[in-house]
Amino acid sequence: MSQMELHSDVPGGPLSEKWEKHRNEMKLVSPNNKRRFDIIVVGTGLAGAAAAASLGELGYNVKAFCYQDSPRRAHSIAAQGGINAAKNYPNDGDSVHRLFYDTIKGGDFRAREANVYRLAEVSGSIIDQCVAQGVPFAREYGGLLANRTFGGAQVSRTFYCRGQTGQQLLLGAYSSLMRQVSAGKVKMYPRREMLDLVTVDGMARGIVCRNLKTGEFETHAAHAVLVCTGGYGNAFYLSTNAKGCNVTAAWRCHKRGAFFANPCFTQIHPTCIPVKGDYQSKLTLMSESLRNDGRVWVPKDPNDSRAPQDIPEEDRDYYLERRYPAFGNMVPRDVASRAAKERCDEGYGIGETGMAVYLDFRRAIQEQGEDAIRSKYGNLFHMYQKITDENPYKTPMRIYPAVHYTMGGLWVDYNLESTIPGLFVLGEANFSDHGANRLGASALMQGLADGYFIAPYTVGHHLAGRTIKPVTTAHPRFEETKNEAKDRVDKLLRINGTRTVQSFHRELGQIMWDYCGMARNAQGLNQAIDKIRLIREQFWKQIRIPGSGESFNQQLEMAGRVADFLEFAEVFAQDALTREESCGGHFREEHQTSEGEAERDDENFTHVAAWEHVPNGEAKRHVEPLEFENVELTTRSYK
Amino acid sequence: MSHSDQNLNLTLRVWRQDGPSDRGRFVDYKVNGISTHMSFLEMLDVLNEQLVAAGEEPVAFDHDCREGICGTCGVMINGQAHGPDNETTTCQLHMRRFKSGQTIVIEPWRANPFPVIKDLAVDRTAFDRIIESGGFVSVNTGQAQDGNCLPIPRQDQESSLDAAACIGCGACVAACKNASAMLFTSAKVSHLAQLPQGDPERSQRVVNMVAQMDEEGFGGCSNTYECEAACPAGVSVEHIARLNREYIKASFCSTAVPATKSK
Amino acid sequence: MSWLTGFLKSTVGRKFVMALTGLFLCFFLVVHLSGNLLLYVGGEAYDKYAHALHSNEEFLMLAETLLFAAFALHIVLAFTTTWENKSARKTGYRKTESKRDDRAFPLLLAPDYTMMVTGLVGMLFLIVHISDFKLEFGWGLEDMTPAQKAGLIVSDGTRLIIYMAGAIALGIHVSHGLASACQTIGFNHPKYTAGIQLVSRIFGVVVALGFSSFPVMAQMYPEWFQFVGTVTTGH
Ligand SMILES: Cc1cc2nc3c(=O)[nH]c(=O)nc-3n(C[C@H](O)[C@H](O)[C@H](O)COP(=O)(O)OP(=O)(O)OC[C@H]3O[C@@H](n4cnc5c(N)ncnc54)[C@H](O)[C@@H]3O)c2cc1C
Ligand code: SF4
Ligand code: FES
Repeated sequence: MSQMELHSDVPGGPLSEKWEKHRNEMKLVSPNNKRRFDIIVVGTGLAGAAAAASLGELGYNVKAFCYQDSPRRAHSIAAQGGINAAKNYPNDGDSVHRLFYDTIKGGDFRAREANVYRLAEVSGSIIDQCVAQGVPFAREYGGLLANRTFGGAQVSRTFYCRGQTGQQLLLGAYSSLMRQVSAGKVKMYPRREMLDLVTVDGMARGIVCRNLKTGEFETHAAHAVLVCTGGYGNAFYLSTNAKGCNVTAAWRCHKRGAFFANPCFTQIHPTCIPVKGDYQSKLTLMSESLRNDGRVWVPKDPNDSRAPQDIPEEDRDYYLERRYPAFGNMVPRDVASRAAKERCDEGYGIGETGMAVYLDFRRAIQEQGEDAIRSKYGNLFHMYQKITDENPYKTPMRIYPAVHYTMGGLWVDYNLESTIPGLFVLGEANFSDHGANRLGASALMQGLADGYFIAPYTVGHHLAGRTIKPVTTAHPRFEETKNEAKDRVDKLLRINGTRTVQSFHRELGQIMWDYCGMARNAQGLNQAIDKIRLIREQFWKQIRIPGSGESFNQQLEMAGRVADFLEFAEVFAQDALTREESCGGHFREEHQTSEGEAERDDENFTHVAAWEHVPNGEAKRHVEPLEFENVELTTRSYK
Repeated sequence: MSHSDQNLNLTLRVWRQDGPSDRGRFVDYKVNGISTHMSFLEMLDVLNEQLVAAGEEPVAFDHDCREGICGTCGVMINGQAHGPDNETTTCQLHMRRFKSGQTIVIEPWRANPFPVIKDLAVDRTAFDRIIESGGFVSVNTGQAQDGNCLPIPRQDQESSLDAAACIGCGACVAACKNASAMLFTSAKVSHLAQLPQGDPERSQRVVNMVAQMDEEGFGGCSNTYECEAACPAGVSVEHIARLNREYIKASFCSTAVPATKSK
Repeated sequence: MSWLTGFLKSTVGRKFVMALTGLFLCFFLVVHLSGNLLLYVGGEAYDKYAHALHSNEEFLMLAETLLFAAFALHIVLAFTTTWENKSARKTGYRKTESKRDDRAFPLLLAPDYTMMVTGLVGMLFLIVHISDFKLEFGWGLEDMTPAQKAGLIVSDGTRLIIYMAGAIALGIHVSHGLASACQTIGFNHPKYTAGIQLVSRIFGVVVALGFSSFPVMAQMYPEWFQFVGTVTTGH
């Protein structure tokens, strides 16, 4: 197999000096020349808004795009818990190295050392920047910044704004972005969906997008393209992601030559409100922090029909405390999720569907009082009650795992540049920092690190270091690419079959959940691939999209996204199939210990799998070996 | 505490409008077997599936996160912005609030600065332009000092966050008889006016933001406080009072003069 | 744009002027009502007060000019802002319902929704009132003491309706107006908001009851308003 060499371009030298050294060596664009360069930023979440604002401040001409009606609505807004930084304000022994180590261990040793170290290094500046923007982080009574603890760490390093940290961070980035819009350095294009990447001479030079309001196709040219379009959790249909989250932008880049790394690395969050009925359109996260005081259990007798509050202690199985006495209810997300699934698969699940477990606050309420619990989790309890109509102060919550975050994404090197020169990928859309499992409060950190403190340097390096010939949208490649995108849309509209987009999306989601979810095996994955192909075929024959392409047409938007999910899902399953080990969120049933714990295979799989698109053929798997010079690969144990 | 799942049969009187220039009309639809556990938007999903199956165009409505934080969703439900529940977005509203046999009137946000795009979806970019006119702190990336250099009293930070919690949904405008955007604008002014970071630009900010708000064509505030009752984020009208104070102070005691951009 | 034009053009600036003039007019109502209440003390007290008031021509001129200016500004701004506010929503709703759970009245009757109507009724009343007391139009009140004049006017049957309607309208108007003006000038804080609301409502009731009491009492106890003339006008 002819494998392409993947150059991660990690600079040499000791880990702690790499970024400094690289910054000193990167090429710079002189201040007067910056205005000669156009940069496209697709996505205005934490990563995109931060990048667009920072590049605008530097003097580049930026065009920013998002599919929502306003950049302020990107899905980063939904993050609840907090953002990590190695500030060591609580004086509890935190350091850049510790944050680095926790993140790399949390990722089950499947992330690139140098990237993760850099992330930990810039984490402090992120907090400073956000504070300066006016982000109202929680404070102590003395007026200084407060911290909370989060899963997977023994120090308090999480900064937060009540249960709405993502919202406040995004609004901070958004305000900086709008400041650049008013300064004329950023032009904002809301309600635009990127449908393709335009490459000229192998370099990313622009995009094709559809104006979702008018249906018009537009082309935009630039000297660099930054894709910051978030994660692809919606391949599962039901997830904690916003309805519009999609893989389209990343997938289209992939089809133009960008490699897709570790697509099967998906995080399934253990505490979400369970599925109620088949009409359900999304799942709601209940913050991880609840496990600080809540105890997870199922009845010992699967046929116990008593109300949960009537089941006495001796008839309850606190299975996390039983299996993992050391960490108990605070085991990492992947472990907690799998344990819940195991109980439910064994028939101990509760409720009408049998796909839920209890999260009980009885003891915490007895010990600390209802008021103390209310002050810690009041808003979450309120949200739970609003959705389920049950009072969690009286009856235990019902929870079940749900798809939440995707660690995989477009492959990028140390500069966050994909395999297509000039195409940079930031935030959840890239694969870089979380390995096979992400620790809580680290996605916000990564998005902002990429946007504020990494891309502004590395993009400049690309602009200054390469010969980029002048190209406008008049270049034939733009027309060509636009026509291809248009044809796809027209084709969708012409089918005029009998089934709705949503029905296909649901069907795909069910397959992904059943075969590519919390536990995977070769047989199931092979079946999944067959089934995905079949649905894809049916999709292109049976879909029905009323209305036209020349107007606001939400069914058409969804159809385009589902069409891409249907292609992407196959690579996802392939990746899961070829990674013959269990690590982080990826659990292969064939690779487990006799006690049912994940079994990593460091000898054969200490690498990134990066998939190359082969037109009319099967995607090709490349690897980037991961070298660990500074940490020792250990088996994660929480017993 | 009811856990029982009931099914509702409903008549939906929905505003249909093909595009910005269409005059629009109400159309009645019947939906049956709606579970009381569904969210309001899931109920609209059911309607849309039904319409697509019948070969009709589905009802357009904006939504994204479906958990009450992005501010994308929002319709008038029986004359109330985001429906009958307080501090609840349309996507968080559940069908258990309705009764079988009921007729539900569903209309878009209505205000001149929020033109209808299609059916229930409106254009709220006016809000972005208000923020653009001054809803920020002028600090470039990299210029920040250590986050703990500026102690901020906890009460100020909490009160500032109360204002910053605005999700930009537009319900305040929709619910106001004057289609005023004062609650939205004041939320940002008040968020930044209560923090030391916002202090250097506080006069220019409020003057610009008010000028832009007016330029967009929103009505004035006549203190009916319907905005506060409709606001899903619980933003209080106290922030409007703070905006008023800030504005009067800025107008009479500072050199700030408004600079607006036209639409 | 100069700062002042900018201020006066803005919705917030104009509301500020509305609020200041409104507060000034509220103050005037207090003074006016206190003076009128002297009628219950007796004709002499009232006459004394009237004389004192009229003895200082310059002060009276100034006060009347100010009052007139305040009224004029308040009314002109009311019309323009209402018009603008109305036109900020070209297409109306099929249905509207309040989400405030502290509303005592349906929107059609709520003080804050009926400011224009109560204001207009108040204004009509004012015209009649000025014509009655200031211009003394159509009454033939020569050689009467102020108290006698007042007694005569408020005892008139047609005035019962007009004055009562005016007083109630004004009462409703200020019950929202006073609190609203405080909010508009930025006087709102968790500590006093509830107090302001309460004072505003009480003020509304006092204005409505206080001013309408005269024609009502005049009907119920006509003898109270038969003042014996002792003093002649002027010095
Ligand atoms: C419910 C929830 C809670 C979370 N809580 C936490 C937490 O507490 N701490 C933490 O660290 N992380 C948390 N996360 C994860 C974190 O929020 C996300 O990973 C992160 O915000 C992603 O940021 P982003 O900028 O990469 O992408 P996003 O914020 O998803 O932004 C994507 C942007 O791309 C645009 N876009 C997408 N596709 C297209 C297209 N085709 N064309 C044009 N534009 C497009 C969108 O409009 C949007 O602007 C949470 C996630 C969820 C779902
Ligand atoms: S103030 Fe409240 S109602 Fe108005 S936009 Fe913000 S969240 Fe929505
Ligand atoms: S869809 Fe995000 S707030 Fe309702």
